[in-house]
Amino acid sequence: MAKITKEKRKDGIIEASLKLFSQNGFYTTTIPDIAQKVGMSVGNFYNYFKSKDILAKELLIYISEYLGREIRAINEMDISTQEKIQKIVTMYFDVAQEKPEMIEYFLRVYLSNREVFNEGCEGVVCVSAFVTEMMLFFDDGVASGELRDQDFFSAFGLFMGYLGGMVFLHGEKILPISLEEYTDSIALNIYNALKTN
Amino acid sequence: MHSISTMHSKQTKKLSLLWLQGMSCNGNAHSFLNYTHLEKLLDSFTVLYHPILASQYTLEEVLELQLSCDVLIVEGSYNSTMYRGGVLFDTFLKHYAKNAQTIIAAGSCATYGGIFYEKDPKNSSGMIFTKEQEGGVLSNYKEKIINLPGCPIHPQWLGYVLEMVAAKKTIALDNQYRPQELFSTLAHHGCTRNEYFEWKVDADDFGKKEGCLFYNQGCRAPMTHASCNKILWNEVSSKTRIGTPCFGCTEADFPRQNLFSTKTNMSIPQDVPLGVSKRAYLSIVGIAKTFHIERLEGKLIDYKKTN
Amino acid sequence: MITKKLIDQIEGEASLYFELENNKVSFSTISFGEFRGMEQILEQKPALDALVLTPRVCGICGHSHLLATVRALEDCYAQSGNPLTLSNKAQTIREVTLIMEHIQNHLKWIYFTILPSLANLDALPKQNNQLKGAYGASLCAKVIALFGGQWPHSSYMLPGGITSDFTNIELLQAKNILEELQIFVEKEVVGSELEDFLAFESCKDFNNLQSDVATIEKALLNLEMQKKGLAYDRFLVLGKHSFSLASKVLQTRVFQADAKYISIKESFSPHQKSYAKNALYKEKYYETGPLARAIAGNSKIIKNMHRRFKDSTYSRVMARVFEMASFVVTAKELLDKVDILEHSFISPKDINKISAKGVGVVEAPRGPLIHEVELEEGIIKNYNIVTPTQFNIGSDTTQNPTPAQKAMLGVSKEEASFIFKSFDVCSVCTTH
Repeated sequence: MAKITKEKRKDGIIEASLKLFSQNGFYTTTIPDIAQKVGMSVGNFYNYFKSKDILAKELLIYISEYLGREIRAINEMDISTQEKIQKIVTMYFDVAQEKPEMIEYFLRVYLSNREVFNEGCEGVVCVSAFVTEMMLFFDDGVASGELRDQDFFSAFGLFMGYLGGMVFLHGEKILPISLEEYTDSIALNIYNALKTN
Repeated sequence: MHSISTMHSKQTKKLSLLWLQGMSCNGNAHSFLNYTHLEKLLDSFTVLYHPILASQYTLEEVLELQLSCDVLIVEGSYNSTMYRGGVLFDTFLKHYAKNAQTIIAAGSCATYGGIFYEKDPKNSSGMIFTKEQEGGVLSNYKEKIINLPGCPIHPQWLGYVLEMVAAKKTIALDNQYRPQELFSTLAHHGCTRNEYFEWKVDADDFGKKEGCLFYNQGCRAPMTHASCNKILWNEVSSKTRIGTPCFGCTEADFPRQNLFSTKTNMSIPQDVPLGVSKRAYLSIVGIAKTFHIERLEGKLIDYKKTN
Repeated sequence: MITKKLIDQIEGEASLYFELENNKVSFSTISFGEFRGMEQILEQKPALDALVLTPRVCGICGHSHLLATVRALEDCYAQSGNPLTLSNKAQTIREVTLIMEHIQNHLKWIYFTILPSLANLDALPKQNNQLKGAYGASLCAKVIALFGGQWPHSSYMLPGGITSDFTNIELLQAKNILEELQIFVEKEVVGSELEDFLAFESCKDFNNLQSDVATIEKALLNLEMQKKGLAYDRFLVLGKHSFSLASKVLQTRVFQADAKYISIKESFSPHQKSYAKNALYKEKYYETGPLARAIAGNSKIIKNMHRRFKDSTYSRVMARVFEMASFVVTAKELLDKVDILEHSFISPKDINKISAKGVGVVEAPRGPLIHEVELEEGIIKNYNIVTPTQFNIGSDTTQNPTPAQKAMLGVSKEEASFIFKSFDVCSVCTTH
């Protein structure tokens, strides 16, 4: 019983931190801020996460694993690569809308405060769950003949840069219609850019 | 003292050995001649026929089909339209296979069809397998067949099997009838470039001591059952140790195509080490490639330095 | 009356069909009955795959095929305007491993073919020493493996050089094994120090020699093999190496030669289909192999033997024996020239961008081995192989016999079989 509560408490901290970091920025948000939002003492907080930097890295892993799980589920479906692209875009935009703090954290904290993540999250170490699933998606797509063979990062950059950019624009309230309404055209653009001739 | 006479009284009759060839290059016969303990081994057998060694009978006599043998070694792939000395291979193969106690398929051609299967797939096969499919020409005799794939086989692999057979020891076989003591390891085990594989430091080109040959140069060692880096070739070396990628010659799909390069799909190797899921492999690669181990990135030897 | 004789243990078999007059061969045809189709297997394959496939034409001379393939591919680069550079180190090591394969081949022929065949003719007592051939050959294979990874079937040569970036450790080990080989050849095979043996000037120098080679020499004379086995007394060498230049020799006159004058003709084998084709140079039959190389080169002893005994079986056998011994010395000299600091491999242009025709010529143990390849964007459109046994052991009509057919005339069936084998026949190569 106590164990389940501990897990739930941890999840609570994660959700609260993500929201606060996304809304107020990494440096402005303090541990006491987070502890207060969750309803625990600062001392108890340190039982879950030893420091703000460690929390920052754990959050990255958490998001990566979350997205990784979603993409894995799509990867394992017996559908065409084009349909998978559609589902990945849909999933990503869903998360952006339902749990904006996740993608926001990635864009506004991870990408913008590299120095926080230099030690312990070198390279793809903390985002490996997500990157691996994208690798498997591309590997399948080329092996099945639907996608053109090319350098992984060319394709990854196109796919993820595009999605991240759209979410950024959405976050800045620049998009005239909802993110969801862009799903079909975005998915088609990605498929057309990556498919075999 | 009395030990010598005991030896004589316990002397059992030597097993008779017959070596036949289908569509073959003779590579396995020649490889076998490099066996370190050849003389001692041959002393335990009566060689009825071998394509190079002095034999009791000529091929002409063997093809008269009046003989039988205890141990039949077959080298080369089976082809139903093939003749030797005017006799159909199918005929003399089956004649000797019938009465042999043990049949050894020596080499990848005899085991899976190998290279010479490619010319005439319709009429070719290995002894038990045709590539990965069971149903080769001697499938009915699989209980007494031992498969020794390899192109060619290592002399010690055949030496091992013959010595075990002569000593009446049971050889543990895997599900492709290959001796487990030889084929449970991968060609990858014992490669001197192992550390480069571990940390994903890929060889940038041929002709260098440094770097792993898996990612760019097509090395199949992590996917190939063999003992080449454990039982060294000619007692001194192996392909990967000197910088040639393993071509996977002991596996059913030999020869593959594009043997000197690795097939990738968007920079991701199509094939990953045996039994390792792609997910697991890619996770490890991602992590390994993140860290740059300086020691592994330079040249091993600085010939200008003479401290 | 036609008598058929199946000759086996010649890297496969061949059927000889003899016509006899007064128990002497008046004519013979030769049929090679097996065909594997390597040239067809190579079609549509990626170019570099040929480096793995062609050695499987033959288990005893696969290394020669490897070098012929790599030379043919390198010629494709040259022909398409992309000549590549080979370091001296790479060229030298390629040569060393080739020579070691020659030595291995010749030693096996001495112990597995010549001595037993002479014993069958009662020209010497039955020998029990065939494993000497295996032992000597295994030392040669070790040297190859130090640079090539393994023998048989290494595939360590690529357009641009070799894969192995060896150290002085391998070099010293190779030299040590060569020393061991030399001692073995001196004590067990030749019966004399190589320096002395290679300085022999005439058959008289054999008088006091006691060894397997001396036994062979005496047996040949007892059988009058110095008067038998004569062919056209014209020779062909085509591969360019440290030990040979492309040349044709008519009796003793040496001329330049070029592989472009080779033509292929269907075999004349009326009694049984033969899958071998005859190879001719400028429409004529020439003998190839150690005797040809010795006459075109600098072998004083063989030239002296040739002066007395022409291209008899005696000269032919002794030429191969001397070549074996002289190669041991050549290999040592070549290894001494190796500069570790040079590159093993100099990367050429991507082969998938190469469309051209190329030819690779190598002196294999039995003579010139020619590989012709046509590449289209790195894929093999066409591959053609001509092996030395096709020069020596073709089968044609009485009006135009091949060297082996001519050599077998006028002797008994049994002697003819010996003369046939003294050419060092490779059945798998000749049909490929």
